[in-house]
Amino acid sequence: MAVFNYNKVALENLKIEDTSVLDRLVNFESALQAHKKKEHAKVDKRMTLKEAIATFISDGDVISDSGFSYVRTPHQAHWEIMRQEKKNLQMIGAPNTNQSFMIFNNNVNLSHNSYAGVEMRGIDRNYDRMLKTGRTKILSEWSHGGVALGYKAAQLGTPGVFSKQMLGSDIMKYNPYLNVVQNPMRSDPDPVVFIPALYPDVAIVHCQLADKYGNAYIYGPTVNDVAAAAAARKLIITAEEIVPESDIRNRQGTIIPFFYADAVVELPFGAVPGNMPGYYYWSRQWWEKLIRFGCVNDENLKIFFDEWVYGVKDQFDFVNKLGGSRWIAEARMQTKAAEGDHEDIDFSYEEYTRTHDSGLYY
Amino acid sequence: MKDLSAPANPLETLAYILSKQIRDHQIVYIGTGIPMIAGILALKTHAPNITMVYESGGQDPIPRDLPWSVGCPFTWRKSPAVMEMSYSFAQCYNGYVDIAFLGFAQVDMYGNVNTHQIGKDVLHPTVRMTGSGGNNDLASLSDNLILVGVQTPDKFVEKVDFITSVGYLTGGNSRKEAGLIGDGPKVVISQCGEFDFEPVTKRMRVKTLAPGWTFDFTQQFTGFELLKPEGEIPQTPLIPDDILKLLRTEVDPRGVFTTMPTA
Repeated sequence: MAVFNYNKVALENLKIEDTSVLDRLVNFESALQAHKKKEHAKVDKRMTLKEAIATFISDGDVISDSGFSYVRTPHQAHWEIMRQEKKNLQMIGAPNTNQSFMIFNNNVNLSHNSYAGVEMRGIDRNYDRMLKTGRTKILSEWSHGGVALGYKAAQLGTPGVFSKQMLGSDIMKYNPYLNVVQNPMRSDPDPVVFIPALYPDVAIVHCQLADKYGNAYIYGPTVNDVAAAAAARKLIITAEEIVPESDIRNRQGTIIPFFYADAVVELPFGAVPGNMPGYYYWSRQWWEKLIRFGCVNDENLKIFFDEWVYGVKDQFDFVNKLGGSRWIAEARMQTKAAEGDHEDIDFSYEEYTRTHDSGLYY
Repeated sequence: MKDLSAPANPLETLAYILSKQIRDHQIVYIGTGIPMIAGILALKTHAPNITMVYESGGQDPIPRDLPWSVGCPFTWRKSPAVMEMSYSFAQCYNGYVDIAFLGFAQVDMYGNVNTHQIGKDVLHPTVRMTGSGGNNDLASLSDNLILVGVQTPDKFVEKVDFITSVGYLTGGNSRKEAGLIGDGPKVVISQCGEFDFEPVTKRMRVKTLAPGWTFDFTQQFTGFELLKPEGEIPQTPLIPDDILKLLRTEVDPRGVFTTMPTA
């Protein structure tokens, strides 16, 4: 049985006494067993989102976040986790911040952080509040590149990688998984950080196309998703469209192989209200409303989620609230223009502010 | 509507000074906010042949509108390659990136950056901010690093509350001894001017001052003792009228990043 050597300074600084809570993320043997036990035969793995979340996410699991900054992020799956009231989840907030909302809804209470915020829309005041009121506890601090290397090490089939990232910073004092060692290849002083291979319990990857077996095609930035999919004990693929296997075989691009996948969910609008390359642009006003109204205090956030998560049945309902087919047409046109050649499309919109709510989400 | 003839505001000045750090044909690592404006401004003026790269993976996109996020399609629009994030940072380590920009909530006298929190206690901060994102990765791996932000005594502090990204750590050789590669931050840019680091102590030193700023006045906007260069302090270049107009009409027409925040 693996016995882990955690960074003692970090354990002390983070006041972590029972280290067993840290083990699953770096427990190669248990990930290996999980990968061996998966269905290796090429079988139809389609199911509904409800079934996939109910079957493959258990209370206490370590969940990874995929996509980048509200691009191709599986928001609708996250909200199904919220609706199913999963408990005691650990979440890796890299490279997104969506754990913040699951903390508020008592689904997540342990955080691995590399970023929490909405870029230029500012800091996430909800995460700030959740941390200060003890509703989540930090298990580890990272840089984006540190987490990316941890997943990559797992995908590469190695116990970990040596890095020059995070050296000398205070991140090292708040990450039990990281230790500084001497580069064994050199005899002159050369400190390096050992980043262990990271094995989340669950990865949920939203992609453009998948076949029923779980071969999943990603277009646009893949970020960490292929590595996290390879590492995770359980992989849920949600896809804008389910296509025949021949369609996947005829494509070139990034494919997650079917044998990583445990569940395949046909989920049009699965990344709404984020951006889905090839399909739809952000609902920018929705995010502004979340950050500028919702995140301000607990009361507002409850109103916001009662309306947008608990008040909707599914993503189709959600899209109807955003403006229905009009929203779809606008959002599709905008992402195509952003990716391609529609020079006359204007990206201006009516920004949501606390004194101005146009009620429009496109 | 924007008054095109109004004098440059501090954010527009920042964007211009930042753009002047970029030389033509360089590979430029871009983050959100003012660095994006600076990159696009450089591209439209003195450096039309630069290659922009982004941490979300976009390599050499053809820019159009301002990206709403580092992952926005504008950061990988028509990119010949879109790389995984681990590889995107690795390009700095491997020597392919010529210049990189980073923002900060606090910077100290040795160029260490904080984007984590205000307050010293990680478990009970006064304000929790974003954390590292890619800030630490770029600061750890880049050779030619430019820091940019608005200057106040609360932001230019003697010691940052949390070292998200190492500059020169405690000065002298401490950055190298910690094992970091790259030479550390070259320049810090604020509305007051440009700052470099004295070669031996690695303490922050005034390099140029923006029009209207004196050394003593700038010191009042700084939470630690600034070093003064020998001789007369050169003036930071003023944004020419035609470039200011370009910035307002073509680079950031809606003032997304170059409008001064209001209360």
